[in-house]
Amino acid sequence: MSSTTITERGEAGHAPGDVWAQSADAFDRWVAGDPSALDDLVRVMSPVLWHVVRAYRLDAEAAEDVIQTTWLAFVRRSSAILDTAAVGGWLTMTARREAWRVAKATNRSTPTEADELAPHLPRQRSSEAVVVEADSRTRLWDAVDGLPDRCRRLLRVVAFENRPDYASLASDLGMPIGSIGPTRGRCLAKLRVALIEAGEL
Amino acid sequence: MSEMSREQLLAVVRSVYDDHDPAPSGLVSRMQGVARAAAADLGFDMDVELMTLLEQSSTLAGTRSTEAATRSVYTLRFVHGQIDLLLRVAPDGDSSRIDGWVVPPEPITVRVLHDNGSVHGALVSDSGRFDIPDVPLGLVRLRLEPHDDRPPFVTPSFEI
Repeated sequence: MSSTTITERGEAGHAPGDVWAQSADAFDRWVAGDPSALDDLVRVMSPVLWHVVRAYRLDAEAAEDVIQTTWLAFVRRSSAILDTAAVGGWLTMTARREAWRVAKATNRSTPTEADELAPHLPRQRSSEAVVVEADSRTRLWDAVDGLPDRCRRLLRVVAFENRPDYASLASDLGMPIGSIGPTRGRCLAKLRVALIEAGEL
Repeated sequence: MSEMSREQLLAVVRSVYDDHDPAPSGLVSRMQGVARAAAADLGFDMDVELMTLLEQSSTLAGTRSTEAATRSVYTLRFVHGQIDLLLRVAPDGDSSRIDGWVVPPEPITVRVLHDNGSVHGALVSDSGRFDIPDVPLGLVRLRLEPHDDRPPFVTPSFEI
């Protein structure tokens, strides 16, 4: 139970390196005059943007609006991206800034520090989910979903982004910039413990 | 029981979110429609306009005795509407260096589109200058992207 299971599951999520290389390649082809390359770029990056934006606690509709705004900004301002290899980072950064702006504007109550750090109880499972409780995927989800809110958000962004910029992450998550690295380390350690407890490691 | 690496842990995070909160079906095609429509609005879907080559000259034939001797510095001049583009192409080790001037100066992103698929970008300075070092030898085009809403335009291909 194993680390084999983990590895296989892990590889099921796309390797992030591929995403950045594919997006850079699509951008190169688009500026070189291939209009269909824009479709490729959108296909590769939209799911990544979804995960990054959803870490900002936006509902599905608001998240899709943010992603749409991001693509409009990209088409209008792609000239600002001098290094075409940086296109993936530009897109995730733009989406995060917009998600942060929208989340702030909707003026939702911000959880207190204690709420943020308290382990959060796994969501109530449907009876269907209980049936498949033995399933390793369910246990992996419970391990991630049981992490404190701040850890879940931080790890989701870090997992889907390519070297996210710590300064903006810090301001988005309301954390001092120097604490992002250590917090990420603590969150990964908590996840490791949760996976061990779940028998997944 | 092996210690999971940071990368493996992050892969677990990716895979559980892909399972439990995947991008909605249809998101990609809706966003492709949005991006395509925005590109069409800006005229990006039209055939890109071509600059006209006005002058081509070899200024310093045969520089010194290196392997670059067979390659010389030369200049090219292109025009498009009100924009004048002057290029100086010089040997730079195994590759070439392009120095350019845009007259009159305006904010433009210049990209070298290489025949091998690589792209090198530069920004035109306030004085209209830009430079792109280390361009591999071969056939290239320059694409100029004005920072207002005008669509980009490209030079014809030339050899460097």
